[in-house]
Amino acid sequence: MMRWVHKLRNGLRTLLQRRAEERELDSELRFHLEHQIAQNVAAGMSASEARRAALIDFGGVEQLKEDCRDMRKANWIEDFLQDLRYAARMLASSPGFTAVAVLTLALGIGANTAIFSVVDAVLLKPLPFRQPENLVALWETETAPGSFPLNGMDYLDWRNLNKTFESMSLYSWPNSANLSAKDVSEGATIIRTQANFFSQLGVRAQIGRTFAEGEDQSGGNHVAVLSDGFWKKQFGASPTILNSTVKLNGEPFTVIGVMPAWYRMQALADLWVPLDMAKDKLGPRGNHQWRAIGRVKSGVTTAQARADLHTIAEGLVKQYPGNNRGVDAIVKPIRDELIGDFQNQALILFGAVALVLLIACANVANLLLARSTGRRREIAVRNALGAGHGRLVRQMLTESLLLSLVGGLLGVLVAYAGVTVMRSSLPATIPQPNPISVGVVPLLFTLVISVFVGVLFGMAPAVQASSADSCEALKPKGMAGDGGNQRGHWLRNTLVIGEIALSLALLIGAGLLLRTFANLRATDTGVRGEGVLTATVRLPENKYAAFEQGRIFYTQLLDKLQAAPGIQAAAITSKLPVLGGNNGYIKIPGQQEQEMTGPLVETTSMMGDYFRAFRIPLLSGRDFTPADHELTAKCIREYLAAKTDAERAALKKYELPAVINQTMARAFWPNQSAIGKVFENFVLFRVIGVVGDVRQQGLRTAPLPESYYPIEWDLTSPTAPFAIVAQGSGTREGLTGTVRNTVRSLDDTLALMNARTMPQIIADSMPDTQFEAALLATMATLALILAAVGTYGVMSYVVGRRTNEIGIRMALGAARPQITVMVLRQAGVLVVSGILLGLLGAAAGARLMQGLLVGVQPIDPLTYSSMAGVLAGVALLACFLPVRRAMRVDPMVALRYE
Amino acid sequence: MGKPTDLVQGTLDLLILKTLANEAMHGWAISQRIHAVSKEVLQVNQGALYPALHRLEQNGWIKAEWGESENNRKAKYYSLTRAGKKYMEKEEANWERLSAAIGLVLKIG
Repeated sequence: MMRWVHKLRNGLRTLLQRRAEERELDSELRFHLEHQIAQNVAAGMSASEARRAALIDFGGVEQLKEDCRDMRKANWIEDFLQDLRYAARMLASSPGFTAVAVLTLALGIGANTAIFSVVDAVLLKPLPFRQPENLVALWETETAPGSFPLNGMDYLDWRNLNKTFESMSLYSWPNSANLSAKDVSEGATIIRTQANFFSQLGVRAQIGRTFAEGEDQSGGNHVAVLSDGFWKKQFGASPTILNSTVKLNGEPFTVIGVMPAWYRMQALADLWVPLDMAKDKLGPRGNHQWRAIGRVKSGVTTAQARADLHTIAEGLVKQYPGNNRGVDAIVKPIRDELIGDFQNQALILFGAVALVLLIACANVANLLLARSTGRRREIAVRNALGAGHGRLVRQMLTESLLLSLVGGLLGVLVAYAGVTVMRSSLPATIPQPNPISVGVVPLLFTLVISVFVGVLFGMAPAVQASSADSCEALKPKGMAGDGGNQRGHWLRNTLVIGEIALSLALLIGAGLLLRTFANLRATDTGVRGEGVLTATVRLPENKYAAFEQGRIFYTQLLDKLQAAPGIQAAAITSKLPVLGGNNGYIKIPGQQEQEMTGPLVETTSMMGDYFRAFRIPLLSGRDFTPADHELTAKCIREYLAAKTDAERAALKKYELPAVINQTMARAFWPNQSAIGKVFENFVLFRVIGVVGDVRQQGLRTAPLPESYYPIEWDLTSPTAPFAIVAQGSGTREGLTGTVRNTVRSLDDTLALMNARTMPQIIADSMPDTQFEAALLATMATLALILAAVGTYGVMSYVVGRRTNEIGIRMALGAARPQITVMVLRQAGVLVVSGILLGLLGAAAGARLMQGLLVGVQPIDPLTYSSMAGVLAGVALLACFLPVRRAMRVDPMVALRYE
Repeated sequence: MGKPTDLVQGTLDLLILKTLANEAMHGWAISQRIHAVSKEVLQVNQGALYPALHRLEQNGWIKAEWGESENNRKAKYYSLTRAGKKYMEKEEANWERLSAAIGLVLKIG
């Protein structure tokens, strides 16, 4: 143990006091020499003889000094520093090469770090909640497949009867509301939660507080918590927001806190307000409209919690056989809920980025090989001077490591840039429970990758150096026998083939995704969105609490819109196409005996030229007339006035008009005309028309059966949000302005919310494919550039080495085209091998992507062949300059070349 | 000078340490002392001596000090450290065991 201390101390001393030590060593040896001379003289030699004999006896002084120094060195530190200095000098002496290599590495490493930062923030870091492993999300099943929101009464039963949960918390879907404060009048998205919601998660406000117990009872619940983004955007992050009042749909709320910026579990919300947890406010049995999270007791597993709730659900089925049939509990760990879908995407992203890095490594390895070929002489000389084989390899590796570490450093900058770009452009489907940043872990990752990469591509020149034959290398260059270093040759070719193969694989992956994206884009949503503007309004309760008031407002609004300049078709509707989610069961009298069976039917109500505005074709029958609206209004009035069960039962005499879509017609009345058929949904409806299908739930799902009713049906809640549809020929701003003015002209306290064009809405419904395709396309382009640079490098080198041969051939009479063919053939072999390998690799890997592809097979001939063509073309282009150089070779110069 | 007998590195270390056991010496003196004590059989030349000295110093078994020599020249004097003394005793014991064993084998043939 003490030996190490001594060694270290002496080693450090050696480092720091080298000159002094050199002088000491010198005088020590000189002392010995003088004594030897003296001894010789005493033995009888003359002075000069004595000196000569002593010196001969002494042997090589330098070698002796070196040996002594060797003994004293803190070996590896000094060696390493020496290597480092040498490597730095070598790299500085060829700035072009160094710049290209460092840039290549920076791009590759930086891209990897950026993606890793995303993966780290989303998948690896723990969720920012208190004991997140105990948090679960709660859903329900129904007889239709899938998972569904909760019913309020079921939730209360679960909460009161369970044995495995510490607490549960209910919350709503996002809702829009008019918000007005001192200088602000905007639409805002609100989520209502139970009072314990934030404390259950373990999240605190950044200023102020979150809800206190009891604030979710009526009377105490007029408080609100803002999101950080909303606070910054609308209120300039002013701290005076606390205890100020904002009005939501006309009602005053006190702002009690602001959530921290990193809280993104409900990324869309601008505000949170407490629910009113009174039993009658949570909806009747059968209505599924709530979301909930829960915290299980420590040590309870998800399976146990589920079994517990399952027992309760079974009891409820027996108690309420009509409403609760098929209703069971789903318990999902919150991790799966928030980020479960992302894992697959992450793998693909990572795979792509890793491929880019491999290609970058291959490029740099090639560059290094080219250089080390030119340094064969230097290596041979060093070998001859006694540098051990290991020493040489170590030196090569040091050089590579220096390159890769500098590249890694620059790569961090690239990563920062990349992360900043991605942070703002990441689609909402990629969850961000933690903020994405280039933190400690990604930086460590960069370091590890840099070292790994440095060793990886450093092996190439090291391998070549180790097989250098000193004798051969020391001969003058250009001799006929200079066949070159066989092993290095083979290595370079393999690297280029590998690069081309990887680039092709990446290109094909990107191509497949781009085609999927195009396919999705081209999917018929069932609506034509061009020229259609949509926006939401919401009437405040203080002025429009009654059905009549709402009806009058919207009727007037529609009239005005239809008369407004620039608007060719206008409608008011309860929800927009492609944004489905409002559905339920219907009953066919005479056909179905049980309720709550059969496919779910999406419901929309509207007034005005809905179908014309969206260009949904009317396939048979007719659209609604004013008489239809009148009839529905009459029925609703009676419904609202009904107080007894008998009065409600009397509503059965009505047969309200409904328009249905083709899927519904085919589902319930196959092989016959649906016109005139009757179905029941609280009251009876008669089908008056059939329209074309619309995909209500995004582009990847098939259309559901859908029924359309006159808007009076939903005007029983006049303060619900309704959407305005305006189809016209003007610009988006123009249309928005017209609509806004029309609304304001009727009531200037109303805000226009979510004004979007239909194409925008459709595009927003497939964000993740767009993002992935864009990312992969970027990687593929990068890979293409790198492969081109690599091919160029190799071809340059090859032509350079064959300059002699070319000169001789030309002197012997070969024509320029023949030379070109010869050079191109060499290139061609490499490129074709690379392409073949790439095709095979892509075919194997594409299977992994199968889940993401739509409308295109993993092995799609069109994509594969076109990408191979692109790559071949680029490779050919990369050969252009070297080939031109070959053709310009002057035979005389080439032959004289030494 | 007679042909030097080749000395294995470990053996040379032992000789040096033993030589320094009682007094501090500089390199020249060490080589002269070994030559004399071994009845002129062992000749340690400087190519082996000085690297060995530096190595022993590196390992902490001997320490060096600059002092004045007999003829008032500055010389580097080496002396044994405590750790060196322990190491020397250990190696001495090993050597005796080894040479006894070799002797036994040689007696047989």
